[in-house]
Amino acid sequence: MGALGHYLEEEGIATVGISLIRPQTENTKPPRALWVPFELGRPFGPPSDPAFQKRVILAALRLLERDTGPVVIEDFPDDDPRATPDSTWRPPFVPTAVATGPAESLAARLEAEILLLRGAHERWVARHRRTTIGLSGLSISECARYVADWLRGKAPPSPREGFSAPLILRFAVDDVKAYCLEAAAAGTAKPSSRQLGDWLWNETAAGAAIHALRVALQASEDERLKLIVSNFMVPAARVRTG
Amino acid sequence: MTRLTDLPPAQAQRLAELECPDFQTRPWVTGSSLSQRRVAIVSSAGLVVRGEDPFRGRDPDYRAIPASAKPEELLCSHISINFDRTGFQEDWNVVFPLDRLRELAADRAIGSIAQTHYSFMGATDPVQMEPHARELAGRLKSDQVDAVILSPV
Repeated sequence: MGALGHYLEEEGIATVGISLIRPQTENTKPPRALWVPFELGRPFGPPSDPAFQKRVILAALRLLERDTGPVVIEDFPDDDPRATPDSTWRPPFVPTAVATGPAESLAARLEAEILLLRGAHERWVARHRRTTIGLSGLSISECARYVADWLRGKAPPSPREGFSAPLILRFAVDDVKAYCLEAAAAGTAKPSSRQLGDWLWNETAAGAAIHALRVALQASEDERLKLIVSNFMVPAARVRTG
Repeated sequence: MTRLTDLPPAQAQRLAELECPDFQTRPWVTGSSLSQRRVAIVSSAGLVVRGEDPFRGRDPDYRAIPASAKPEELLCSHISINFDRTGFQEDWNVVFPLDRLRELAADRAIGSIAQTHYSFMGATDPVQMEPHARELAGRLKSDQVDAVILSPV
Protein backbone atom coordinates (compact mmCIF):
# COMPACT_ATOMS: atom_id res chain seq x y z
CA MET A 1 0.00 0.00 0.00
CA GLY A 2 2.88 2.32 0.80
CA ALA A 3 4.31 1.66 -2.65
CA LEU A 4 1.01 2.68 -4.29
CA GLY A 5 1.13 5.92 -2.33
CA HIS A 6 4.66 6.51 -3.51
CA TYR A 7 3.80 5.99 -7.19
CA LEU A 8 0.67 8.18 -7.08
CA GLU A 9 2.49 10.93 -5.20
CA GLU A 10 5.32 10.85 -7.75
CA GLU A 11 2.65 11.39 -10.40
CA GLY A 12 1.44 14.50 -8.56
CA ILE A 13 -1.47 13.27 -6.45
CA ALA A 14 -1.36 13.71 -2.68
CA THR A 15 -1.97 10.51 -0.73
CA VAL A 16 -2.49 9.38 2.81
CA GLY A 17 -2.52 5.73 3.76
CA ILE A 18 -3.92 3.72 6.59
CA SER A 19 -1.16 1.58 8.10
CA LEU A 20 -2.02 -1.75 9.71
CA ILE A 21 1.56 -3.01 10.04
CA ARG A 22 3.74 -0.24 11.34
CA PRO A 23 7.15 -1.86 10.61
CA GLN A 24 6.18 -2.20 6.93
CA THR A 25 5.17 1.46 6.79
CA GLU A 26 8.39 2.52 8.49
CA ASN A 27 10.34 0.57 5.86
CA THR A 28 8.40 1.85 2.86
CA LYS A 29 8.40 5.46 4.09
CA PRO A 30 5.24 6.67 2.29
CA PRO A 31 4.46 10.39 2.24
CA ARG A 32 1.76 10.18 4.93
CA ALA A 33 0.28 7.33 6.95
CA LEU A 34 -1.96 6.85 9.95
CA TRP A 35 -1.16 3.66 11.86
CA VAL A 36 -4.24 2.11 13.43
CA PRO A 37 -4.22 -0.54 16.20
CA PHE A 38 -6.91 -2.64 14.53
CA GLU A 39 -6.82 -6.19 13.30
CA LEU A 40 -5.87 -6.96 9.72
CA GLY A 41 -8.92 -6.50 7.49
CA ARG A 42 -10.35 -3.56 9.45
CA PRO A 43 -8.49 -0.42 8.33
CA PHE A 44 -11.30 1.86 9.48
CA GLY A 45 -12.11 -0.02 12.67
CA PRO A 46 -15.39 -1.44 13.92
CA PRO A 47 -18.28 -2.29 11.60
CA SER A 48 -21.57 -0.43 12.07
CA ASP A 49 -19.90 2.35 14.07
CA PRO A 50 -20.00 5.41 11.79
CA ALA A 51 -18.81 7.83 14.47
CA PHE A 52 -15.68 5.80 15.20
CA GLN A 53 -14.96 5.24 11.51
CA LYS A 54 -15.36 8.95 10.83
CA ARG A 55 -12.77 9.77 13.49
CA VAL A 56 -10.32 7.38 11.80
CA ILE A 57 -10.80 8.72 8.29
CA LEU A 58 -10.67 12.34 9.44
CA ALA A 59 -7.49 11.72 11.42
CA ALA A 60 -5.97 10.29 8.25
CA LEU A 61 -7.22 12.98 5.86
CA ARG A 62 -6.01 15.77 8.15
CA LEU A 63 -2.45 14.56 7.57
CA LEU A 64 -2.88 16.00 4.06
CA GLU A 65 -2.80 19.48 5.61
CA ARG A 66 0.59 19.01 7.28
CA ASP A 67 3.18 21.56 6.20
CA THR A 68 6.22 19.43 6.85
CA GLY A 69 7.15 16.10 5.34
CA PRO A 70 7.77 13.58 4.02
CA VAL A 71 7.58 11.23 5.91
CA VAL A 72 4.57 11.62 8.26
CA ILE A 73 3.51 8.57 10.31
CA GLU A 74 1.02 9.18 13.09
CA ASP A 75 -0.70 6.73 15.46
CA PHE A 76 -4.45 6.52 16.00
CA PRO A 77 -4.95 6.30 19.77
CA ASP A 78 -8.02 4.11 20.26
CA ASP A 79 -8.58 0.38 19.95
CA ASP A 80 -11.45 -1.23 18.04
CA PRO A 81 -14.26 -1.72 20.57
CA ARG A 82 -15.65 -4.58 18.49
CA ALA A 83 -12.49 -6.61 19.15
CA THR A 84 -13.95 -7.44 22.57
CA PRO A 85 -15.95 -10.70 22.71
CA ASP A 86 -19.72 -10.38 23.18
CA SER A 87 -20.78 -12.84 25.89
CA THR A 88 -24.42 -12.62 24.75
CA TRP A 89 -23.63 -13.99 21.30
CA ARG A 90 -24.82 -17.50 20.53
CA PRO A 91 -23.92 -19.21 17.25
CA PRO A 92 -26.65 -20.92 15.23
CA PHE A 93 -27.06 -24.56 16.12
CA VAL A 94 -25.17 -27.02 14.00
CA PRO A 95 -24.22 -30.57 14.96
CA THR A 96 -20.64 -30.51 16.22
CA ALA A 97 -18.33 -31.66 13.47
CA VAL A 98 -14.97 -33.26 13.87
CA ALA A 99 -12.21 -33.13 11.31
CA THR A 100 -11.70 -36.86 11.31
CA GLY A 101 -13.88 -39.57 9.85
CA PRO A 102 -14.73 -40.70 6.35
CA ALA A 103 -14.62 -37.98 3.69
CA GLU A 104 -18.07 -38.98 2.41
CA SER A 105 -19.58 -38.44 5.84
CA LEU A 106 -17.97 -35.01 6.18
CA ALA A 107 -18.99 -34.03 2.65
CA ALA A 108 -22.59 -34.97 3.36
CA ARG A 109 -22.57 -33.04 6.65
CA LEU A 110 -21.20 -29.96 4.88
CA GLU A 111 -24.08 -30.00 2.40
CA ALA A 112 -26.61 -30.59 5.19
CA GLU A 113 -25.15 -27.75 7.24
CA ILE A 114 -25.57 -25.28 4.40
CA LEU A 115 -29.29 -26.13 4.36
CA LEU A 116 -29.47 -25.91 8.15
CA LEU A 117 -28.01 -22.38 8.14
CA ARG A 118 -30.35 -21.09 5.45
CA GLY A 119 -32.78 -19.43 7.87
CA ALA A 120 -30.00 -17.68 9.77
CA HIS A 121 -28.47 -16.49 6.53
CA GLU A 122 -31.80 -15.14 5.31
CA ARG A 123 -32.04 -13.18 8.57
CA TRP A 124 -28.55 -11.78 7.92
CA VAL A 125 -29.50 -10.61 4.44
CA ALA A 126 -32.76 -9.09 5.70
CA ARG A 127 -30.90 -7.19 8.41
CA HIS A 128 -27.85 -6.00 6.48
CA ARG A 129 -29.37 -5.95 2.99
CA ARG A 130 -26.24 -7.49 1.55
CA THR A 131 -24.18 -10.62 1.27
CA THR A 132 -20.54 -10.97 0.29
CA ILE A 133 -21.12 -14.35 -1.32
CA GLY A 134 -20.56 -14.37 -5.07
CA LEU A 135 -16.91 -14.86 -6.03
CA SER A 136 -17.50 -18.33 -7.47
CA GLY A 137 -20.56 -17.33 -9.48
CA LEU A 138 -22.32 -20.41 -8.06
CA SER A 139 -25.32 -20.60 -5.74
CA ILE A 140 -24.39 -21.48 -2.17
CA SER A 141 -25.81 -25.00 -2.59
CA GLU A 142 -23.71 -25.43 -5.71
CA CYS A 143 -20.65 -24.15 -3.81
CA ALA A 144 -21.22 -26.71 -1.06
CA ARG A 145 -21.69 -29.49 -3.61
CA TYR A 146 -18.52 -28.44 -5.48
CA VAL A 147 -16.43 -28.39 -2.30
CA ALA A 148 -18.02 -31.65 -1.10
CA ASP A 149 -17.27 -33.37 -4.43
CA TRP A 150 -13.61 -32.41 -4.16
CA LEU A 151 -13.66 -33.93 -0.68
CA ARG A 152 -15.22 -37.09 -2.14
CA GLY A 153 -12.23 -37.32 -4.48
CA LYS A 154 -14.20 -36.57 -7.64
CA ALA A 155 -12.02 -33.63 -8.81
CA PRO A 156 -15.00 -32.00 -10.57
CA PRO A 157 -14.28 -29.83 -13.63
CA SER A 158 -14.72 -26.09 -13.48
CA PRO A 159 -18.35 -25.10 -14.04
CA ARG A 160 -17.33 -21.61 -15.18
CA GLU A 161 -15.67 -20.82 -18.47
CA GLY A 162 -12.36 -19.03 -18.15
CA PHE A 163 -11.81 -20.14 -14.54
CA SER A 164 -9.74 -23.20 -13.70
CA ALA A 165 -11.12 -25.84 -11.36
CA PRO A 166 -8.63 -25.01 -8.56
CA LEU A 167 -9.57 -21.32 -8.81
CA ILE A 168 -13.29 -22.10 -8.62
CA LEU A 169 -12.56 -24.36 -5.64
CA ARG A 170 -10.83 -21.43 -3.91
CA PHE A 171 -13.75 -19.10 -4.63
CA ALA A 172 -16.32 -21.73 -3.61
CA VAL A 173 -14.50 -22.19 -0.29
CA ASP A 174 -14.48 -18.38 0.14
CA ASP A 175 -18.24 -18.32 -0.51
CA VAL A 176 -18.94 -21.16 1.94
CA LYS A 177 -16.93 -19.39 4.65
CA ALA A 178 -18.72 -16.09 3.99
CA TYR A 179 -22.12 -17.82 4.13
CA CYS A 180 -21.37 -19.50 7.46
CA LEU A 181 -19.87 -16.37 9.05
CA GLU A 182 -22.75 -14.19 7.88
CA ALA A 183 -25.27 -16.73 9.21
CA ALA A 184 -23.44 -16.86 12.53
CA ALA A 185 -23.64 -13.07 12.95
CA ALA A 186 -27.32 -12.79 11.98
CA GLY A 187 -28.59 -11.85 15.43
CA THR A 188 -28.38 -8.60 17.33
CA ALA A 189 -25.27 -9.56 19.35
CA LYS A 190 -21.91 -8.20 18.23
CA PRO A 191 -19.46 -11.10 18.18
CA SER A 192 -15.77 -10.43 17.69
CA SER A 193 -14.04 -11.86 14.66
CA ARG A 194 -12.27 -14.32 16.95
CA GLN A 195 -15.57 -15.63 18.31
CA LEU A 196 -16.87 -16.13 14.79
CA GLY A 197 -13.62 -17.73 13.63
CA ASP A 198 -13.49 -20.08 16.63
CA TRP A 199 -16.98 -21.28 15.79
CA LEU A 200 -16.33 -21.71 12.06
CA TRP A 201 -13.05 -23.56 12.39
CA ASN A 202 -13.72 -25.60 15.52
CA GLU A 203 -17.42 -26.39 15.51
CA THR A 204 -18.82 -26.53 12.00
CA ALA A 205 -18.84 -29.15 9.28
CA ALA A 206 -17.72 -26.42 6.86
CA GLY A 207 -14.58 -25.73 8.89
CA ALA A 208 -13.86 -29.43 9.31
CA ALA A 209 -14.43 -30.08 5.60
CA ILE A 210 -12.06 -27.28 4.54
CA HIS A 211 -9.41 -28.56 6.95
CA ALA A 212 -9.84 -32.11 5.57
CA LEU A 213 -9.78 -30.88 1.97
CA ARG A 214 -6.53 -29.04 2.61
CA VAL A 215 -4.89 -32.16 3.99
CA ALA A 216 -6.24 -34.44 1.25
CA LEU A 217 -5.33 -32.22 -1.71
CA GLN A 218 -1.86 -31.38 -0.46
CA ALA A 219 -0.99 -34.86 -1.77
CA SER A 220 -2.07 -33.82 -5.28
CA GLU A 221 0.44 -33.84 -8.14
CA ASP A 222 -1.16 -30.65 -9.49
CA GLU A 223 1.23 -28.00 -8.19
CA ARG A 224 -1.29 -25.19 -8.66
CA LEU A 225 -3.96 -27.06 -6.73
CA LYS A 226 -1.45 -27.87 -4.00
CA LEU A 227 -0.44 -24.22 -3.72
CA ILE A 228 -4.07 -23.06 -3.43
CA VAL A 229 -5.15 -25.59 -0.81
CA SER A 230 -1.95 -25.13 1.19
CA ASN A 231 -2.03 -21.34 1.39
CA PHE A 232 -5.40 -19.91 0.45
CA MET A 233 -8.07 -21.88 2.30
CA VAL A 234 -7.23 -22.18 5.99
CA PRO A 235 -5.81 -19.10 7.76
CA ALA A 236 -2.26 -19.62 9.09
CA ALA A 237 -3.50 -19.18 12.64
CA ARG A 238 -6.07 -21.97 12.15
CA VAL A 239 -3.91 -24.61 10.47
CA ARG A 240 -3.84 -27.79 12.51
CA THR A 241 -0.49 -29.43 12.93
CA GLY A 242 0.21 -33.05 13.69
CA MET B 1 -7.10 -5.35 18.37
CA THR B 2 -4.35 -6.95 16.35
CA ARG B 3 -0.87 -5.71 16.74
CA LEU B 4 1.96 -7.86 15.46
CA THR B 5 2.35 -9.29 18.95
CA ASP B 6 -1.20 -10.65 18.70
CA LEU B 7 -0.50 -12.68 15.56
CA PRO B 8 1.03 -16.16 15.38
CA PRO B 9 4.80 -15.60 15.66
CA ALA B 10 5.61 -16.93 12.19
CA GLN B 11 2.97 -14.72 10.54
CA ALA B 12 4.04 -11.67 12.54
CA GLN B 13 7.67 -12.17 11.57
CA ARG B 14 6.76 -12.64 7.90
CA LEU B 15 4.72 -9.43 7.87
CA ALA B 16 7.26 -7.37 9.77
CA GLU B 17 10.13 -8.52 7.58
CA LEU B 18 8.26 -8.38 4.26
CA GLU B 19 10.57 -6.94 1.67
CA CYS B 20 9.55 -3.38 0.83
CA PRO B 21 10.67 -1.36 -2.18
CA ASP B 22 13.65 0.86 -1.48
CA PHE B 23 12.63 4.09 -3.17
CA GLN B 24 15.25 6.65 -4.13
CA THR B 25 12.86 9.59 -4.07
CA ARG B 26 10.59 10.99 -1.36
CA PRO B 27 7.69 12.65 -3.22
CA TRP B 28 5.54 15.14 -1.32
CA VAL B 29 2.59 16.84 -2.96
CA THR B 30 0.92 19.70 -1.14
CA GLY B 31 -2.44 21.24 -1.96
CA SER B 32 -5.40 23.22 -0.81
CA SER B 33 -7.16 22.80 2.52
CA LEU B 34 -9.02 19.58 3.15
CA SER B 35 -12.36 21.33 2.67
CA GLN B 36 -11.38 22.00 -0.95
CA ARG B 37 -10.08 18.54 -1.81
CA ARG B 38 -11.66 15.98 -4.10
CA VAL B 39 -11.06 12.59 -2.52
CA ALA B 40 -10.84 9.08 -4.00
CA ILE B 41 -10.46 5.75 -2.24
CA VAL B 42 -7.76 3.41 -3.51
CA SER B 43 -8.01 0.04 -1.76
CA SER B 44 -5.70 -2.95 -1.88
CA ALA B 45 -8.41 -5.38 -0.74
CA GLY B 46 -8.99 -6.96 -4.14
CA LEU B 47 -12.44 -5.37 -4.29
CA VAL B 48 -14.60 -5.99 -7.34
CA VAL B 49 -18.09 -4.98 -8.34
CA ARG B 50 -20.32 -8.05 -8.45
CA GLY B 51 -20.50 -9.43 -11.98
CA GLU B 52 -16.98 -8.38 -12.90
CA ASP B 53 -14.08 -10.80 -12.89
CA PRO B 54 -12.54 -11.20 -9.43
CA PHE B 55 -8.80 -10.94 -8.99
CA ARG B 56 -7.51 -14.39 -9.86
CA GLY B 57 -4.31 -14.33 -7.87
CA ARG B 58 -1.62 -11.72 -7.77
CA ASP B 59 -3.02 -9.71 -10.68
CA PRO B 60 -1.11 -6.40 -10.92
CA ASP B 61 -3.91 -4.29 -12.39
CA TYR B 62 -6.83 -2.59 -10.68
CA ARG B 63 -10.60 -2.55 -10.77
CA ALA B 64 -12.80 0.55 -10.95
CA ILE B 65 -15.64 1.03 -8.46
CA PRO B 66 -18.09 3.76 -9.44
CA ALA B 67 -19.25 6.07 -6.65
CA SER B 68 -22.77 4.87 -7.49
CA ALA B 69 -21.90 1.30 -6.38
CA LYS B 70 -24.11 -0.15 -3.68
CA PRO B 71 -22.87 -2.10 -0.64
CA GLU B 72 -24.52 -5.29 -1.93
CA GLU B 73 -22.48 -5.02 -5.13
CA LEU B 74 -19.00 -5.06 -3.63
CA LEU B 75 -17.04 -8.28 -3.17
CA CYS B 76 -13.59 -8.91 -1.72
CA SER B 77 -11.44 -11.22 -3.86
CA HIS B 78 -8.11 -10.73 -2.09
CA ILE B 79 -6.02 -13.88 -2.30
CA SER B 80 -4.93 -13.76 1.34
CA ILE B 81 -7.10 -15.44 3.94
CA ASN B 82 -5.06 -14.14 6.85
CA PHE B 83 -7.15 -11.09 7.60
CA ASP B 84 -10.61 -10.58 9.04
CA ARG B 85 -13.46 -10.44 6.56
CA THR B 86 -16.35 -10.35 9.05
CA GLY B 87 -16.05 -6.58 9.50
CA PHE B 88 -16.38 -6.00 5.76
CA GLN B 89 -19.23 -8.51 5.57
CA GLU B 90 -21.22 -6.48 8.09
CA ASP B 91 -20.28 -3.02 6.86
CA TRP B 92 -18.36 -2.13 3.70
CA ASN B 93 -17.14 1.11 5.31
CA VAL B 94 -14.68 -0.96 7.37
CA VAL B 95 -12.67 -1.34 4.15
CA PHE B 96 -14.32 1.00 1.66
CA PRO B 97 -15.47 4.09 3.59
CA LEU B 98 -17.60 5.65 0.87
CA ASP B 99 -20.51 6.46 3.21
CA ARG B 100 -18.10 8.23 5.57
CA LEU B 101 -16.72 10.28 2.67
CA ARG B 102 -20.26 11.23 1.67
CA GLU B 103 -20.91 12.44 5.21
CA LEU B 104 -17.65 14.41 5.26
CA ALA B 105 -18.60 16.03 1.95
CA ALA B 106 -22.06 16.89 3.31
CA ASP B 107 -20.38 18.41 6.40
CA ARG B 108 -18.05 20.34 4.05
CA ALA B 109 -15.06 18.78 5.81
CA ILE B 110 -13.88 17.69 2.34
CA GLY B 111 -14.68 19.33 -0.97
CA SER B 112 -16.13 16.45 -2.97
CA ILE B 113 -15.89 12.75 -3.76
CA ALA B 114 -14.41 11.20 -6.87
CA GLN B 115 -16.75 9.75 -9.48
CA THR B 116 -14.77 6.52 -9.44
CA HIS B 117 -12.76 4.67 -6.81
CA TYR B 118 -10.29 1.84 -7.32
CA SER B 119 -8.92 -1.38 -5.90
CA PHE B 120 -5.71 -3.32 -6.39
CA MET B 121 -4.90 -6.75 -4.95
CA GLY B 122 -2.42 -5.97 -2.23
CA ALA B 123 -0.43 -9.21 -2.17
CA THR B 124 0.93 -8.38 -5.62
CA ASP B 125 4.57 -7.39 -6.09
CA PRO B 126 4.61 -3.55 -6.03
CA VAL B 127 7.01 -3.52 -8.98
CA GLN B 128 4.35 -5.25 -11.07
CA MET B 129 1.72 -2.74 -9.94
CA GLU B 130 3.82 0.34 -10.74
CA PRO B 131 2.80 0.89 -14.39
CA HIS B 132 -0.86 0.40 -13.48
CA ALA B 133 -0.58 2.81 -10.55
CA ARG B 134 1.02 5.45 -12.76
CA GLU B 135 -1.69 4.97 -15.39
CA LEU B 136 -4.30 5.25 -12.65
CA ALA B 137 -2.87 8.63 -11.65
CA GLY B 138 -3.93 9.94 -15.07
CA ARG B 139 -7.48 8.71 -14.56
CA LEU B 140 -7.63 10.28 -11.12
CA LYS B 141 -6.43 13.61 -12.54
CA SER B 142 -9.08 13.43 -15.25
CA ASP B 143 -11.62 13.21 -12.42
CA GLN B 144 -10.01 16.28 -10.75
CA VAL B 145 -8.96 14.13 -7.77
CA ASP B 146 -6.29 15.81 -5.64
CA ALA B 147 -6.36 13.54 -2.57
CA VAL B 148 -6.31 9.77 -2.27
CA ILE B 149 -6.95 7.75 0.84
CA LEU B 150 -5.21 4.40 0.64
CA SER B 151 -7.04 1.56 2.36
CA PRO B 152 -5.14 -1.71 2.98
CA VAL B 153 -6.38 -4.92 4.58
